[in-house]
Amino acid sequence: MTASPTLAPSRRDSTPGVLYSPAVRLIGRRLLAAIPVLWGVTLLTFIVVQALPGSAAQQLLGPNATPEQVQQLEAQLGTDRSMIVRYLDWLGGVLTGDLGSSLSDGRAVTEVIGSALGVTAELVLLALVVSLALTVPIALLAARRPGGVVDRISMAVSMVGLSIANYVLALVLVWVFAVQLAVLPAIGFVPIGDGILDNLRSLVLPAIAIGFPLFCFYTRLLRADILEQMQGQDYVTTARAKGIGPWRVLTRHAFRNSLFGLLTIVGLNLGTLIGATVIIEQIFALPGVGRELLQAISNRNIPVIEGIVLVFAVVVVVANLVTDLLYAVLDPRVRHGNT
Amino acid sequence: MHRFKPVTFGVLSALVIALSACGGGGGNAADGSSSNNGADNPPAAKSGGEITVLEDSGFAGAWPAGLDPATNTNGAANQPMMDTIYGQLFKLVEGGKIEGELAEGSTLSSDGKTFTIKLRPGVKFTDGSPFDAETVKWNFDRSLASPCTCNPKSSWPKLENPAVTTSGTDTVEIHFTAPFAAISRSFISANLNWIASKTSFDKMGEKAFKQKPVGAGPFTVVSNSPSNQLVVQKNPGYFRQGHPYLDKVTFKSIGGDQAAYQALQAGQADAYEGMSTPALVDQASKQSNLTTTQMLSTSPYVIQLNTSKPPFNDQKARDAVYYATDTEAIRKGLFNNRYPTSQTFTGPGGLFYKPTVPGYKTFDLAKAKQLVSEMGGMQVTLGTINVLVAKQTTEALQSQWAKAGIKTKIESYDLAGLIKAFGGPWQSMLQTAGAWDPAIGVGVGFRFNSHSPFTGVKDPALDKLLAEGSGTLDEAKRQTIYDEAGKLISDKSYAPFMFAFAPANLAVKGVYGPGLTTKLPAVAVNPPVSWPDVYKTSGTGQ
Repeated sequence: MTASPTLAPSRRDSTPGVLYSPAVRLIGRRLLAAIPVLWGVTLLTFIVVQALPGSAAQQLLGPNATPEQVQQLEAQLGTDRSMIVRYLDWLGGVLTGDLGSSLSDGRAVTEVIGSALGVTAELVLLALVVSLALTVPIALLAARRPGGVVDRISMAVSMVGLSIANYVLALVLVWVFAVQLAVLPAIGFVPIGDGILDNLRSLVLPAIAIGFPLFCFYTRLLRADILEQMQGQDYVTTARAKGIGPWRVLTRHAFRNSLFGLLTIVGLNLGTLIGATVIIEQIFALPGVGRELLQAISNRNIPVIEGIVLVFAVVVVVANLVTDLLYAVLDPRVRHGNT
Repeated sequence: MHRFKPVTFGVLSALVIALSACGGGGGNAADGSSSNNGADNPPAAKSGGEITVLEDSGFAGAWPAGLDPATNTNGAANQPMMDTIYGQLFKLVEGGKIEGELAEGSTLSSDGKTFTIKLRPGVKFTDGSPFDAETVKWNFDRSLASPCTCNPKSSWPKLENPAVTTSGTDTVEIHFTAPFAAISRSFISANLNWIASKTSFDKMGEKAFKQKPVGAGPFTVVSNSPSNQLVVQKNPGYFRQGHPYLDKVTFKSIGGDQAAYQALQAGQADAYEGMSTPALVDQASKQSNLTTTQMLSTSPYVIQLNTSKPPFNDQKARDAVYYATDTEAIRKGLFNNRYPTSQTFTGPGGLFYKPTVPGYKTFDLAKAKQLVSEMGGMQVTLGTINVLVAKQTTEALQSQWAKAGIKTKIESYDLAGLIKAFGGPWQSMLQTAGAWDPAIGVGVGFRFNSHSPFTGVKDPALDKLLAEGSGTLDEAKRQTIYDEAGKLISDKSYAPFMFAFAPANLAVKGVYGPGLTTKLPAVAVNPPVSWPDVYKTSGTGQ
């Protein structure tokens, strides 16, 4: 696994001060690089939504509306202006922290997102926890004895998990745990303020529906990476020669190096993870951002779509940055620039 | 009015439907138009309790524009929420009759041009302000100016100026320039049926009002999270003594039939309105803990043919489609005879229903083949809205028509795409046509009147008949006129009709109510449930 050269300290790093630390400079560079990325994402989204048939006014008014009624509402909503004017207007608002207003009900987009973001954030976090909490022990056990019982079972389960769409899995989970066993709720969200246990109960099935396919993917990847480390790396041979036990070599040496690959994939997969919330929130009737996004697309509510896509893009950019920073935490070579 | 549903979601959830079948209880299977499996003799009504009602997020469960009658552009779909908050001026009861609710009564002048509404005395809004004629007029003026599908003006004759006047504190009049027979019926599911408090509106402002509106209905709003959840509680000052029965109703938006069915089975909800996936309706009707009520259909599916463009500007091509279409095979094979046949624009739940039309061209493959051969082959595009029943039907039609030599390309649209497609060179569309009363809502004129943007027919004779049907006050004469219109459509082969679809309502045992566990016509896709009369004797819900 190679370390990022961007974190290597330069001569100027000998100067005391946080601003010159490699981590801060990395963050600065990444944030600057993120600006064109975010701009590109918003522009592309705007163009794609424009290309869809129908308009917000038409969607709001329905099939009975006359062209005059549609025009009247478009004028009210400001959607009769050219695409460029509307985009620049929106972009100007973004620069001042104003994401615009929902075309459906006039609420500020920040309010729409703010009221739903907590649910999605909690769901994503829980899905991540579910997937990683299962991945690590099972991948370690599978890699300990390749071809053994745990390895075979985990591979079979992974195949199933990777083959099944998460919305089908969601329905199966509901049928088993909510309908048949009646141990978990089928729909709805309980805010954390109403009791942490009920809150977690309301998110367990959606989190599994999202997290399980990821667990399957991560397990295969981590297992393969650990096996590669165990079979071909000099430091493993050295450790064994020192008389360190196989389990300790696996967990303290090989696993630690394999974590880089896992971290990279988790960071890159965050977009997929967030994307999965759109359909899962719909099935479990969770009032999250994904559900808002689906409704906004259905209503051609461009300010809300743009706002949510922008927030998602920022989250993915930040997550990737955090992943890079974690390299430094995990690998002293990166931390000290000894690549 | 159409529902938005991801077809793929329904199809792929077949696995879960199959799994769900393992937990089946007693009850009867689907038996055609009716599958009510247990609410025939409901226990006596009692007060108290609360229920959770699920609404499809693609239809009734979407209220993105808020709940103000004049600005809720999805009002016709949001009847459950609107009716609980505002009550209704007029309500539809079993037997297809209209009764006054917040209106004490109404009369139509002998020339059919003036509709007089007498308001119920002593009614107050939940903010304490009086429910009087001035407030009703203010509501009517706002609602009639609204660019909304639930604004009934599009199916009304031209209005006089002024259109709405008052007389005293309890009488409101609507004035037309031409007679209109279906005026009282046109209130059901229209925004004029919901009266908002002007006092609260002025005090709160439009933006706040639409989020937490105030009416004189059986319930008041506790909380509203748009297109997610609406909680309403009993209005103790509701004018009907002892009503509503329930203390609280929670409407929850849910992503489709399968998720709703499972939530009911898991005991997390008490009712679901508008189940339209046939396999799930069949499955639900076998569950002993559920009452499944197949509603009365009013709008049959029809294959609209664009008579202004080839090949359907030639009656020979239209005849070929009539003969190549085996409706009975589709009804039986795909939908287990659940939806009754209709050869014209009326359904069994609607007024003026006639299932058959004399001389209607039914399936005859040999004749279809011959006509297609005479035309040197046929290639057509068949469009439809992206809902499961419509999608399945178009695929079946494609297969049937292929046997007659007609090559068919299927186009499936969301609502916006469908509207756009009607503005282009479309050839045929599978749609629903008709209404509870053909003269109102998305009635026959919507699909067949020359002036409608959604018609494939421009026939002055048919226009004349439809105008007469709307303006004639005598019901028997109206029946004759609509029979003639159906015959004309059939003779000219303007559009083969198929079957009259209607959704089903599901309720857990212990929850009962008119329209929920009894059959009512599906006026705007879903039937108008009478929420003040819904009660709970037990149940698994919250």
